[in-house]
Amino acid sequence: MLTLLRDLRRLRRDTALPQGRPASIAIRHVDAGSCNGCEHELTLATSPYVDLQRFGLGVVASPRHADVLLVTGPVTTRMREPLLTAYHAMPEPRRVAALGDCALGCNLLGSASELVGAVEELLPVDLRIPGCPPDPERIANALLALLEPS
Amino acid sequence: MSDHRERFALALSDGWRFADLHSTPTEIRTLLVRDDGRTLLERTPHAGSVPTIVDLAPAAGWDEREAHDRDGVRFEGHEPLRPLLDHDLRLDRWTVPVHGHDAHQVAVGPIHAGVIESGHFRFHVVGERILHLDARLFYKHRGLERAAEGRTLDEGLAYAARACGACAAANGIAYALACEDALGLAPTPQLARVRTLLLELERMWSHLNDIAAVCAGVGLAAGNNRFAALTERARRLNAALTGHRFLFGSVRVGGSDLLIERVVVHAAREEVEALREESRSAWRELLFNGSFQDRLPDVGVLDAANARILGAVGPAARAAGVAEDARAAASGLAYDGFAPVVPKRAAGDVRARLEQRALELLQTFEVLERLLEGRIGPADAAPGGVERPIGVGRVESARGATSCVVERDGDRVARLRLRTGSYANWPAVAHAAVGNLLPDFPLINKSFELCYACADR
Ligand code: SF4
Repeated sequence: MLTLLRDLRRLRRDTALPQGRPASIAIRHVDAGSCNGCEHELTLATSPYVDLQRFGLGVVASPRHADVLLVTGPVTTRMREPLLTAYHAMPEPRRVAALGDCALGCNLLGSASELVGAVEELLPVDLRIPGCPPDPERIANALLALLEPS
Repeated sequence: MSDHRERFALALSDGWRFADLHSTPTEIRTLLVRDDGRTLLERTPHAGSVPTIVDLAPAAGWDEREAHDRDGVRFEGHEPLRPLLDHDLRLDRWTVPVHGHDAHQVAVGPIHAGVIESGHFRFHVVGERILHLDARLFYKHRGLERAAEGRTLDEGLAYAARACGACAAANGIAYALACEDALGLAPTPQLARVRTLLLELERMWSHLNDIAAVCAGVGLAAGNNRFAALTERARRLNAALTGHRFLFGSVRVGGSDLLIERVVVHAAREEVEALREESRSAWRELLFNGSFQDRLPDVGVLDAANARILGAVGPAARAAGVAEDARAAASGLAYDGFAPVVPKRAAGDVRARLEQRALELLQTFEVLERLLEGRIGPADAAPGGVERPIGVGRVESARGATSCVVERDGDRVARLRLRTGSYANWPAVAHAAVGNLLPDFPLINKSFELCYACADR
């Protein structure tokens, strides 16, 4: 067993693969009322052209496993509670990213009674990713900033 | 007042089909369509109550529930009239009671485990077998239709188009056609061409995406990656042609401002040809992947009879053998000679819905190659028709027939109604889930690949 581990370590050291970044980030996405455009671009950010996973950025199934809450859409009144619940379920330290103009409160469409508005109205936003929708490369570039030591 | 029901029954026996029902504070409006594409809008004053038509057209179930939530209209005979838009009501008000040995509920959502839109599903199960599914959507309800009221007809377009990013062209064009119908304008062949191009560009990336989604649902990473890469190329093509990956801003009421030079059109045509060839080869790989193919048949069945009863539309209905496609009789668009396709094995299961996307992609490539010929310049809708207070527009989105009804007050929106293919199909998803195992639901759901945003508005 130990020999195997030693061999594995040597193999890793000897292969010419580039060194990975020394960090990874788990992202939980919450759609707080988007038009689905931001979701479709986020989906492609994990597809072959951009492939977020290779940078150590992965979308995880539960907020309990997440470092970052990535929120899309203008927050609707109906998504207010679920969004807060997801946030409070996250371990600390936790960060919030607002994805797309709607999440940033720009150019909102809808009835005032149905919208809370920008994500910022509810949660402390650490990262803003503008665009309607931002394309996969822009999403990836913005998220990569989270890997830099703050 | 009860003539609402009688007139509807008469129209049905006359060959009309239900397409939409919605309310205003004073009226019930029912939209009917014929195979030849003609539409008929019936208006009835309601004074708070009308007889239901849900027994004549079960497809009107959601529409009546929405009209009740929105304008307080009661539908006599529709019992129980469960809320649709309204949340925060007792569980037993919006779920169907399911009793029996070991029957229990599993609640999923509104937040799901992947990059998925928000919506709540309440499964009634015994063990892992689904007995019944109550979907509670409208978590993303933004009140777009109401917010459009009082805006100019031009401004109103955004409220329809941005209801859904995945169907922005279809919803926008349905809205523009409705406005033009009300204004007595008819699209010229040039305008018809550019709009048809937008609709098919949208269908191309959507169908590629939907095939990728089913691969993901099965856990076939190779298929998912390959079709996701093609989806990315299709969106880049959208951007090359219109400046936007989702075609936002390309639709206008009364005309089109798109200007695409001949060389760009030519390059786009070559890219469409390349995408056709590559999706063919990617599809062949899926066909020869035995373990993938074994996962698809007999899961999530929606047969033709139920598709008709529930008013299912689009690829979901055609995969069940219902050969209906709004493109076949579309007015104001360039679909001359278009005939709907259905798969040979129209079993209405996950496999048939997947195959349906592949078949429709071939049609879409063909239409695109025909339309991507020569420069695309500004185009207009020509005056000369009859002006009226309410206009109707219908298009076939990637999810199915989408109707838009616009009532105008001069050049302003008085009432907007957008009934999308997704709205029409959600009840069919709930139906198709019954009898299947709970872990199969994500796959079934992906095989319909409906938008929540489109339904919630
Ligand atoms: S920012 Fe644009 S794409 Fe994203 S949810 Fe809002 S309208 Fe849709």
